Amino acid sequence: MKKNIKVCCGTGCLANGSRLVAEEFERLAGEDALVECEIRRTGCNGFCENGPLVTIEPDHISYYRVRVKDVPEILEKTVKNGETVDRLLYKDDSGKPVRSQEENPFYAPQLKIALRNIGKINPADVDDYIATGGYEALKKALAMTPDEILDEMDASGLRGRGGAGFPTGTKWRTAAGYDVFPKYVACNGDEGDPGAFMDRSILEGDPHSVIEGMAVCALAIGAEEGFLYIRDEYALAVQNVRAAIRAAEERGFLGDSIMGSGRKLHLSVVRGGGAFVCGESTALMQSVEGKVGEPRAKYIRSVQRGLWDHPTVLNNVETLANVPYIIVHGGAEYAGIGTERSKGTKVFALVGKVKRTGLVEVPMGATLRHLIYDIGGGVQNNRPFKAVQTGGPSGGCIPASMLDLPVDFDTLKEYGAMMGSGGMIVMDDRSCMVEVARYYVQFLSGESCGKCTPCREGLKQMLAILTDICEGRGRMEDLDLLESLGETMQDSSLCALGKSAPNPVLSTLKYFREEYEAHIREHRCPAGVCKELTRFSVNPEKCAGCSACVRVCPTGAASGERKQPHRIDPEKCISCGSCREACRFGAIITKGRGEA
Amino acid sequence: MTITINGKSCECEKGEFLLRIAERNGIEIPTLCHHDAVEGQGCCRLCIVETVTRGRSQIVVSCVYPVEKECEVFTDSEKVRRERGIILRLLEKRAPDSPEIRALCEKYDAPRIDRFVKADSGKCVMCGLCVKACAELSVGAISTVNRGVAKEIATPYHEPSSVCVGCGSCASICPTHAIEVKETKDTRIIWGKSFRLVRCRRCGAVIGTEQEIAMAAERAGQEADGLCSNCRQMRIADVFAGTYGN
Repeated sequence: MKKNIKVCCGTGCLANGSRLVAEEFERLAGEDALVECEIRRTGCNGFCENGPLVTIEPDHISYYRVRVKDVPEILEKTVKNGETVDRLLYKDDSGKPVRSQEENPFYAPQLKIALRNIGKINPADVDDYIATGGYEALKKALAMTPDEILDEMDASGLRGRGGAGFPTGTKWRTAAGYDVFPKYVACNGDEGDPGAFMDRSILEGDPHSVIEGMAVCALAIGAEEGFLYIRDEYALAVQNVRAAIRAAEERGFLGDSIMGSGRKLHLSVVRGGGAFVCGESTALMQSVEGKVGEPRAKYIRSVQRGLWDHPTVLNNVETLANVPYIIVHGGAEYAGIGTERSKGTKVFALVGKVKRTGLVEVPMGATLRHLIYDIGGGVQNNRPFKAVQTGGPSGGCIPASMLDLPVDFDTLKEYGAMMGSGGMIVMDDRSCMVEVARYYVQFLSGESCGKCTPCREGLKQMLAILTDICEGRGRMEDLDLLESLGETMQDSSLCALGKSAPNPVLSTLKYFREEYEAHIREHRCPAGVCKELTRFSVNPEKCAGCSACVRVCPTGAASGERKQPHRIDPEKCISCGSCREACRFGAIITKGRGEA
Repeated sequence: MTITINGKSCECEKGEFLLRIAERNGIEIPTLCHHDAVEGQGCCRLCIVETVTRGRSQIVVSCVYPVEKECEVFTDSEKVRRERGIILRLLEKRAPDSPEIRALCEKYDAPRIDRFVKADSGKCVMCGLCVKACAELSVGAISTVNRGVAKEIATPYHEPSSVCVGCGSCASICPTHAIEVKETKDTRIIWGKSFRLVRCRRCGAVIGTEQEIAMAAERAGQEADGLCSNCRQMRIADVFAGTYGN
């Protein structure tokens, strides 16, 4: 039987050398007449840290960290003889090698709807998409009235995956209700949260699903033109989406007469210049129009007056990728997944100090514990879990006591965090929550558009105060000031960036206040991160004299004879913490500046 | 429809901006970035007020908030005072040289916040009125540059603009007089560029810069008459008097 070799060529795997692996498969398979196979370059499988990934179908065998030198063996053993190459299989938590993705603890609990095709199809080949049922939804939608499409969307309960969670059906229906033409459909692919890459993965790996979603929306609201706003750093996404638009036009899924219906839709890609704030809907529209990417007041919604003051539906990439599934399977089926108020699945970018990092799609309402421990395998090196930062830079930090909270649009908000677009950064006991808050405020103060006072000036002052606290110049009154400044920013900032910018500060103040107090009162960073407040030394009882610290120390502060307890010269130490990361015996200890 | 502002009933049209309704009814709300000529900025956030709609309280920005439903508005509630006070102090630290901001801080009793870092100097509050005025009334010679806390208003590359006509619209609309205009008898220097001033051929008052007058004449499609608006009116009056006699 002819084998199908799928080589992951998502950005992560490409960075790990998967292009060379794919070329080696193609070269060797071409030379060997006995090898009967088809080689397919797919989008991202989501398990990037273990890439390059290679999957052999129909055997259902997945290999990880495949190098060029492994290719002949895979061809010989697996493709010709159906045997596995055990060393390339993933090992589960007990160390047992697993053959298929279905048995892999990272993939097993997942339910893929938005990511349904990614990793399976070649994104550059429209026939691959069609073969998985692609453009069936568009065909079905063409036979439906706009109202029937809107009813289906309402029934699905789909809410915007960009973070705000606005009901998609309601948004479309409102836009459909205005008799102002032309109307526009737009896709927000300006994903900018540090650590998040779900939209990138979908645009790169399954661009037609987004295009099809936009086409369905255009039919429902009566739009004939649309834009995909994609950040320019996503070069592969831009390339694949542009190719997909061309292919869809050639096949008549887009253009002057969609599938011969006489209905028009023209889509084009607009490349974002890299401003985080352009992910905000009104700033994005300004940018599409060629103006400075600044938000405007949203008392009048974009569905009424969006692009060029005309009704515009702007949906997130992941939202749109769900649309074809909903149209084909029906809104009711989709609404059967998830929780009472948050339907369907959500893709998370699970990153940070977690054993298995990657893209994870699960039904809404999964608990943080399920995501971090069952799928993520727990905290790296089995260190204690401290917090998970959800929802990107303007999300919040959730402590261990809340690990059993279900993740959906509404629950996390009650606790001062948010699901947001699905970034999830796991932190262990060596993460300083004050420094985390400072980092995000610094990120946002550079990325704020600078238009309104509370956001621009508030972030500047917040950053100065947090930097003071991290460097030992904090005062106890600062905490109240941070809170009242945060409240002002939440209430009176112009857009969601400013309104949610204080979240990392307010949530850490709420759940990790004692850490702030330790910095201010005792001049001590409990996590041993803030350089100005931390001294490193060696516990001679635990030190095995392995020299690991000596090798990594950048300033020669760590020294010692092998098998003898080492020491750290405080004069030379720059408190970078490299020794602590390298030490396998827990012998590096940290103390506050003021401690004996 | 009718809304109440600080307990006073106010008639208004649906969709009318709250600030306008308040102004019409003699209720003062402080603002820096609002100007009738270039509406819709909504960026200084000084004009925040608290609205209560069906029992739900919300802070809104009155210059860009269209009234859609009947509501109660409070322009000086405790929450408004607290948050407006912080916004004023934020502006004061940014523009420590502005007497206008200092006066507003006093007028609205903004609590002192010594902890905030003060800029060394400056009057600009980044309201953007100058940029909008230049774009809409003149030539678009200035723009906001950079983003985030580094945002500023400047000509391209901080060099004298090739298109600026020196009309001074930016300076005259600025609520804090942050844009420097130097004038001598014959020249005006603004944004690092020097312009020759033209005087009224009848009374000798300054009409504007050479470039500004040329631009106005081109837009109007007729030759410049070399008169100031006062003398032009007088000349027209003379024509009328000559035509109709006494």
